[in-house]
Amino acid sequence: MTRLQIPIHSSTLKNGLRVVIVPDTNAPVVTVGVYYKIGFRLEPQGRSGFAHLFEHMMFQGSENAPKMQHIKLINSSGGVLNGSTMYDVTNYYEAVPSNALERVLWLEADRMRALKVDEENLTNQRDVVKEEVRVNVMNQPYGGFPWLDMPPVAFRNWANAHNFYGDFADLDAASLADVRKFFRTYYVPNNAVLLILGDVNPQNGQVLAEKYFGSIPAGAAPPFADPTEPPQTEERRGCVQEKFGTLPAMAIGYVLPPRRTPDWYAIVLLDQALHGGRAGRIHRELVLEKQIAVEADGGVDDVFGYNGPSQLTTRILHKPEYTAEQTLAAFDEVLREVKEKGISEEELQQLKVKWRSDYYSTLEGGRGGYMPRYGLMHLLACFTLFDNEPQLVNTVLEGFLAVKREEIQAVAKKYLRPENRAIVFRTPVSKDAKEAA
Amino acid sequence: MATRAPEMATGVPALAPERAVTWPKRTRARLSNGLEVVLAEAHSIPKFHGELFFRAGEALVSDRSVGLAEMTSTVLRTGTAKRTSRQIEEDLRRLGADLGTSAGQDTSAISFAGLSEFAEPLLQLVNELAREASFPPPELERERRQKLEEVKLERTSPGFLAGERLRKILFGKHPYARVSPSEQQVAAYRREDLEQVYREIYTPENALLLMVGDFDPQAMLSLAEKTFGNWTGKKPAPKEAPALPEFHGRRVYLVHNPGSVQTQILLGCHAITRKHPDWIRLGLTNSLYGGAFNSRLVMNIREDKGYTYSPRSGVSPLRQHGYFTVSAAVRNEVVAASLTESFYELDKLRSVPVPPAELADAQNYVTGMFSMGLATQEGLLSQFATVELNELPADYLETYRDKVRALTSTDLLATARKYFDSANMPIVVVGDRAQIEEQARLFGDTEIYNAQGERVE
Repeated sequence: MTRLQIPIHSSTLKNGLRVVIVPDTNAPVVTVGVYYKIGFRLEPQGRSGFAHLFEHMMFQGSENAPKMQHIKLINSSGGVLNGSTMYDVTNYYEAVPSNALERVLWLEADRMRALKVDEENLTNQRDVVKEEVRVNVMNQPYGGFPWLDMPPVAFRNWANAHNFYGDFADLDAASLADVRKFFRTYYVPNNAVLLILGDVNPQNGQVLAEKYFGSIPAGAAPPFADPTEPPQTEERRGCVQEKFGTLPAMAIGYVLPPRRTPDWYAIVLLDQALHGGRAGRIHRELVLEKQIAVEADGGVDDVFGYNGPSQLTTRILHKPEYTAEQTLAAFDEVLREVKEKGISEEELQQLKVKWRSDYYSTLEGGRGGYMPRYGLMHLLACFTLFDNEPQLVNTVLEGFLAVKREEIQAVAKKYLRPENRAIVFRTPVSKDAKEAA
Repeated sequence: MATRAPEMATGVPALAPERAVTWPKRTRARLSNGLEVVLAEAHSIPKFHGELFFRAGEALVSDRSVGLAEMTSTVLRTGTAKRTSRQIEEDLRRLGADLGTSAGQDTSAISFAGLSEFAEPLLQLVNELAREASFPPPELERERRQKLEEVKLERTSPGFLAGERLRKILFGKHPYARVSPSEQQVAAYRREDLEQVYREIYTPENALLLMVGDFDPQAMLSLAEKTFGNWTGKKPAPKEAPALPEFHGRRVYLVHNPGSVQTQILLGCHAITRKHPDWIRLGLTNSLYGGAFNSRLVMNIREDKGYTYSPRSGVSPLRQHGYFTVSAAVRNEVVAASLTESFYELDKLRSVPVPPAELADAQNYVTGMFSMGLATQEGLLSQFATVELNELPADYLETYRDKVRALTSTDLLATARKYFDSANMPIVVVGDRAQIEEQARLFGDTEIYNAQGERVE
């Protein structure tokens, strides 16, 4: 078996900024990322959606690069850029021809050092974000299902349960003072990691990181709210109306064990048995065999990217002639079989091969042909910020390959219980769709 | 002036000298049965990516029934002479592989990716699907029922509704106008229709096998010969396609989507294929207009005015014809304003030469993006596929960047005048009629459609 070994150079600057460099000179392209350890989970109460709105503001101008210049300078260097807000991190990244590396580092450092935004920018981006929510959620069939519908049903702690895209009233209430405070609190070098991956000499990369980021002052260690959930003792259910879609839908989410525990490795591999495409048991039974569902997919979202409560989630769109309870019963039957019989050694070996193969692809790409090494960047960042151990990129696979059959069955019994789950029904209001349950 | 003049950045480091962009060498061969093979090494990960293309798709057969080529590709992965559907899926997992089957207007394909250590069994499976698909009747029935739900569901997506309407307007009686089947058509597919399509399209003379990844090309070529070498079959006969309708003036097509809280705008006009000598200059002109984050359209209606999250423009190159589109999902109150700005930016490119600095920025963007795909097996595969399927010159990738850099503002002005035909464009808007009709009518005579695609007024 060929194993992939990634050469990782990691260090910490005096201001606390972690730096991770991975050289690979095959193509004259470099990927740069800056990850801040703050996502929408721990954004301020009363300011739902703020972490994401703030992410937009990071493109609106910094001390030496006014509005529109970030985008212009990257595009005109031949590269692409974007940012995204996740549960526990927010990232900003660029993929550029490697001759633009210094320019990219200058830009990222400029906005880590000092944001320069005004009321006009904030109003503009508030409008843009509202259109983003409309196009992705409010005006789409099954928009936001289940990623926005599930948290308020599944969780009790506001951190895990609120609307991450933001209530429009909260977005409207967000002020420039909030933007400045959020920036001062969380966007400090000691709460971030810089990643330089691809066509870079590691020594040179280190010198440039020091040159552009070294003099940014450290801040106080950011305060983080506690995302712990109170113990769950019974199944939770909720209902949401589907305005456009014609099929009844449901999502079932089970709370996962803490990351990088033996149970976690086993359940992530079990996820492959349940949701691994057309060979996955849930798709096979519900779509291919029993033909109750039109779609049945899901899994552990962003396996390495959560640093707090998260779920193993199945998303089902089923035919209107089946009731929700019939569909759920068929789903439960799939889980019952794993809990009672476990999986065969043969299946376990297949899962491990597929996991290893998928893992390599994640490291190589992960976000389309124009964003090389996104997956590698994301994993290195999360392993650095959550575990302080970027080398996990090279070793974490062992944890999955070591899982035994008994462990798969044991975690199925331990975690895939009704008292550990939440179910959201998304029910069409359209007159064409027959009543679901 | 439509947008504020941006302030400039100060102290920006200059770009370092560029490192040469080198495309991996392609090994080209023709197997003993005529199957064309193109291989390239890329050792980023111990895997390989491949695609077995067939140079025909929906457009060849959609006069029989719309979606037939697609349904053929869907069902062909569900059984062969030797394996059941379930065996196929489990074998793929055993090999750590992913496989997809698809059919577009001009191409059908079996695409695959897997661990290099299992190249031989994976190619064997691809070979079986290409030659010995058995189209099991129960699998067809299931896929038919799935498709029936899908065709209902897609009529709830604003993006689908807009695209379907525009394609009908631009392509008239040409097969490219047929985007998606009706429920009646799906219900009427017969197994022998699928088998007929399979026999006609899936032949070695009609195929191209492209593979990129961690392998030795000579060894992979021998493996391809061993696996596919004794397969026989002719190219399907080409088909005459009807001419495209001409479109004069501006006309509005409003697709009523009740309860919509936003409006999907889609404009378009005929353009060109990738083989056309103007392709590269049209690509650059499009990137300036709305093909990049830094483009005029995005800066205007997103970054300056906040009307929309994701405006963009693009040129869709089908094999026989291409078309240009401008799209944005905007809030209902600013439908007219967004259309005005979109046309303004088109007309500005047709009227005023692009300033040299902006031209240089766009040239850098387009040439830089072109090499981004070098870093992944998938990126390389997609670039090589573009060259091969469109029969572009062998040095297309190597000379592309120089050709982009040689373009001038005068070239772009001429290109915009020729292709951004803003005076003769259909305007499709998908939204709630009561909220947008008055604004839409400002732009021309208006036809109203329902979400089923039927004209109601």
